Amino acid sequence: MDTTQHALVARVESLGKSYGSAENTVAALRGVSLGIRRGEFTAIMGPSGSGKSTLMHIMAGLDSATSGRVWLADTEITDLADDALTILRRRRVGFVFQAFNLVPTLDVEGNILLPFELDGRRVSAEERAWIDQLVGSLGLDARLRHRPHELSGGQQQRVAIARALATRPDLVFADEPTGNLDSRTGREVLTLLATASREYGQSIAMVTHDPVAASYADRIVFLADGAVVRDLGKSSAEEISSLMLAMERS
Amino acid sequence: MRRLRVSEHVPSILVASLGAAFGVSLLQLAGVMSSVIVADDVTGSSGMVRVMLAAVAIVFIAIAIYVSAIVTANTFATIIAGRTRTIALLRLIGSSAATQRRAVAWEGLQVGVVGAVVGTVTGTVVSLGVVAVGRATDFLPALDYGFAPPVIALPVVAVVLTTWLASWIGSRRVLTVSPIQATGASQEESLEQASGHRARNVVAAVLVVTGLGALVLAVVVGLVSPFGVLIGVVGGLLSFSGFILGAQAVMPRVLRWVGRAFGSSAPARLAAQNAVRYPERSTRTTIGLVIGVTLITMFAVAVESFQGLMRRLQEGQPGGQEQTDQVLVIIVAVFSILTGFSALIAAVGMVNNLSLGVLQRTRELGLLRALGFTARQVRRMILIESASLTVAAVLVGLVLGTFYGWVGAQSLLGSATAGGGVLPPAVPVPLLVAVALAAAVLTLVASVTPSRRATRIAPVAALAVT
Repeated sequence: MDTTQHALVARVESLGKSYGSAENTVAALRGVSLGIRRGEFTAIMGPSGSGKSTLMHIMAGLDSATSGRVWLADTEITDLADDALTILRRRRVGFVFQAFNLVPTLDVEGNILLPFELDGRRVSAEERAWIDQLVGSLGLDARLRHRPHELSGGQQQRVAIARALATRPDLVFADEPTGNLDSRTGREVLTLLATASREYGQSIAMVTHDPVAASYADRIVFLADGAVVRDLGKSSAEEISSLMLAMERS
Repeated sequence: MRRLRVSEHVPSILVASLGAAFGVSLLQLAGVMSSVIVADDVTGSSGMVRVMLAAVAIVFIAIAIYVSAIVTANTFATIIAGRTRTIALLRLIGSSAATQRRAVAWEGLQVGVVGAVVGTVTGTVVSLGVVAVGRATDFLPALDYGFAPPVIALPVVAVVLTTWLASWIGSRRVLTVSPIQATGASQEESLEQASGHRARNVVAAVLVVTGLGALVLAVVVGLVSPFGVLIGVVGGLLSFSGFILGAQAVMPRVLRWVGRAFGSSAPARLAAQNAVRYPERSTRTTIGLVIGVTLITMFAVAVESFQGLMRRLQEGQPGGQEQTDQVLVIIVAVFSILTGFSALIAAVGMVNNLSLGVLQRTRELGLLRALGFTARQVRRMILIESASLTVAAVLVGLVLGTFYGWVGAQSLLGSATAGGGVLPPAVPVPLLVAVALAAAVLTLVASVTPSRRATRIAPVAALAVT
């Protein structure tokens, strides 16, 4: 694999995270070291309680680690204060959550432009063109003035994707992005994410427990009990399923 | 029979007891004022003054009952709205809607009784304190004032009954909660939209028009008799009831208009949107304050007009003017304290509503933090939301209060002006300053708890709420 082309866009080293008091500690992550390669669509898989969501939250600057170090591109974010992390999320990270992605009081355009407005700046002509292109390719042209409650679940996820891509962040985090969708709409959303990665070179890290969703990714990292247990290239849903089952049995 | 969950009902009990204290104090102090004026017949017109005081006392009784009823009803409706999930869960495991509704009403009765007892004691203490201060500073003569006239039972019973009734009316929403709402992400607005508003708006319009008609009649009758003010009370109650009933058609518009004044930054825009997001709830939040400010303004304007008239009538008699001014100082002080009580009730309701609103938006606040809202931006957003609500309520209250105050003064005093003339409406500047200051303080106070709550939530924890 060509390492210069696949420079790391995010990296964690010996990452540990535990909850609870001293005598009653629950470890969510036990020494995870992982690099997310630039331009790739990476799936982070694992059963419930494997620590995959915690890992994503820490990599995205939403939560802090108990031990270990975290980088986003060249910035070490391990010990950044809340405000610095907030601005980092605003400018350099995009999010697509399972549900409740959109601010209900803003229309579609307002939601897409929110990260820019939080920065208190106008969208440049070049950014405007990019957003228009995104809106067009996601089929949201006719929906710009609609409020989230007027959209279907799939449309809401498209808006979330448009918003996540709009700032051209270093990394887009997707947390079970198809968890609330029917399988057909879910496949559409996954195709959109894969396309964004392939055509625009967008780095994406997706947390999921669904083998079908993971099969759209270029790389699949398996987590179990707070540690990375497998790291695969592109795989079919069947291969991923049988691997998951094998992990359950062991 | 469920035991009363006190922590949840603290705001309700506070509101009910403030309402009872308001009513009790009011009647006790009105009695005190009557005694003073009868005992101190310097101007030789105590007969007329007594009639006016009796009329004013009736106005106060009506308003005291009215304010506590509305604020208690609103507080209860808000509590019920916040409980949708719990109610749905109980429905899910087999409790009938009727049982749920009775349980809520039973809580309402308990809240009413507790509030009425606390309020009666507090109100009496306040009255005793006012009279003690009055005596110590020689404003009040050493007379034997009765503090337990039977009439004080009126607001006490009224608070118990209205709280009970309010909880019953508020619990109407229980019937619309479906068991399935316990399992999904239930939204309050579906409930709010569920009730049709057309019939309600028609009733509101009829009340406003009838009330305004009565107010015009009051002004006309007032030109020949001070009893015009009684027609004015009826007109005021009708039109104000109509306004409150139809406030949902007015307050969101005012809120939208006020919200625009805070600029177009992302926190300001979201705050303005939040303020009108659930029109019914925003209206409920602001209406208590509108009532409070309207009352304060109404009395201040009425008294200022009365004072102006008295000065003009007694221009030739310098001695009498001093006496009247002294009585007026007492009246203004008493009125301000008592109307301040109703504003306090309203403020409790507003703080409560804003806190609940923020609590119910936990997930959205988590999303905003994830997307890049700094803690400061979140605080600013909540502060602006609080300010929008306060400013809108204060503006509407000032306009309505000035109007009602003028009508009141005109219908009470029109016959006393030389040649049956028309009084100019007088808005005292100190009132405007005091209202602006109080509004600023309320805005800050109301936003403190929700802000702290909102910024203390870790984005991850907020996002985990489903």
